Amino acid sequence: MTEARYFEPETVDEVVALLAADEDAKCVAGGASLVAMMNARLVEPSQLISLRHVEELQKIELNEDGWLQIGALVRHCDVVIAAELTEGNQVLSQAAGLIANPVIRDMGTIGGSVGHFDPAADYPVALAALGAEIEIAGANGRRSVPAGEFFIDWYETALAPSDLITSIRVPPAPVGSAGIYEKLAKVQGDMGIAMVAVVMAMAGDAINYLAVSVGGCGPTPIRLPDAEQALIGGSVDDAALQDFSNKLVAASDPVDDVRASAAYRKVLIPRFVAQAIDKAKAKLGEAS
Amino acid sequence: MSSSETIALKLNGEVREAAAGPTTTLLEVIRDQLGLTGAKKGCNQGVCGACTVLIDDKLARACLSLAVNSVGQDITTIEGLTENGEPSPLQQSFVDNGAVQCGFCTSGMIVSSHALLQANPQPSIDDVRDGLSGNVCRCSGYRKIIDAVRGVAGD
Ligand SMILES: Cc1cc2nc3c(=O)[nH]c(=O)nc-3n(C[C@H](O)[C@H](O)[C@H](O)COP(=O)(O)OP(=O)(O)OC[C@H]3O[C@@H](n4cnc5c(N)ncnc54)[C@H](O)[C@@H]3O)c2cc1C
Ligand code: FES
Ligand code: FES
Repeated sequence: MTEARYFEPETVDEVVALLAADEDAKCVAGGASLVAMMNARLVEPSQLISLRHVEELQKIELNEDGWLQIGALVRHCDVVIAAELTEGNQVLSQAAGLIANPVIRDMGTIGGSVGHFDPAADYPVALAALGAEIEIAGANGRRSVPAGEFFIDWYETALAPSDLITSIRVPPAPVGSAGIYEKLAKVQGDMGIAMVAVVMAMAGDAINYLAVSVGGCGPTPIRLPDAEQALIGGSVDDAALQDFSNKLVAASDPVDDVRASAAYRKVLIPRFVAQAIDKAKAKLGEAS
Repeated sequence: MSSSETIALKLNGEVREAAAGPTTTLLEVIRDQLGLTGAKKGCNQGVCGACTVLIDDKLARACLSLAVNSVGQDITTIEGLTENGEPSPLQQSFVDNGAVQCGFCTSGMIVSSHALLQANPQPSIDDVRDGLSGNVCRCSGYRKIIDAVRGVAGD
């Protein structure tokens, strides 16, 4: 085995040039997933490109268009406390707070989690519910990919080997919305069996905004915008919710794994979604 | 850089030199080269917490940190938490509360507890459980570990 080479570039362009020159090169953010895989000899990168001196990736910034731009290197612990994430957008800080444990939250970064894309990861579920965008720098310049198009299949994203995630952009929270992120795991700190993110707003008893994303139950987070839309204007009544949940179950494609069986996950989805919507409703009640 | 070269690490307030290649972990350097064996290699996967250290005052798994990527940062291991060579109140509390059985998890438990107490000097039982949720004790002495952490809280 030839030993890897190590670089510490300072700009996005330098990182992209290094990635483009060698497709077995890997960037290192928090190292929480990459170094674990290296220790297990699941990957042997030819080059390690540390992102730690790339200034552009470190900040959280409110853009002029009202979107919140979270640099790829922002750690989970800082997303937990990001004051800019208000109302429904709190699903992102809630998700960050349920990742692993305090040590991993101090190390891991949002760009690393999104780039690695474990199908049981927490951020993708929240980002899908929020309609966030993944900002990417690549060999052909910069582009922006909506979360719904970014996560493609098991461990497959829209990233090319020479692409770098520069930031995650989160749209302004729907006015008056509340967010609930829930994760069911065998023990605290484990990867989830299933996750759900709900962003909801109501006018009186009627739903006037709804986004629901379900994770851990297929290759990518499940969202059904048409079915969400059909609930707008109605109340959160049991029959409509049951019909919605059935559609989510039909769209799911869970597998049997060490955490739970596929059949268990299908039973879980309706209850889990109903519980999260109930909690969102209760939260809206408290706020009003 | 490619193969092994000499790096300087800021470890427990001192500059220490070591040889590291791009894939050498911080845990390998501090244990195997610098002889600080408080941090343990349990899983080498980030799961058990036995290797937990502080890097720039944030918790980190030494087994998932590349040594070269830690140059210039302030690294604190369990050895660095002693006060003038004496056990800190937190360390002493682990002894007094019988929170150490085989001791394999203890360094990581204390480093994580130290960070918890910095942020939250009077943690509830649930706060301690949350704070130590990334540290596994195979001897399963959690109750006494929680007592030890709460034993120093706020005094
Ligand atoms: C014990 C343990 C428990 C965990 N539990 C959970 C959990 O419950 N929920 C959860 O969601 N996650 C969990 N994780 C994963 C954790 O969130 C990681 O921090 C995250 O997946 C990777 O982030 P990182 O910054 O450490 O990335 P790294 O490990 O540095 O990189 C991971 C991968 O992403 C690539 N990459 C890094 N940054 C970028 C970028 N900017 N652009 C493109 N590619 C990039 C790397 O090249 C590498 O392939 C856990 C990890 C461990 C070790
Ligand atoms: S050895 Fe690092 S977490 Fe287990
Ligand atoms: S004391 Fe033995 S592992 Fe905790």
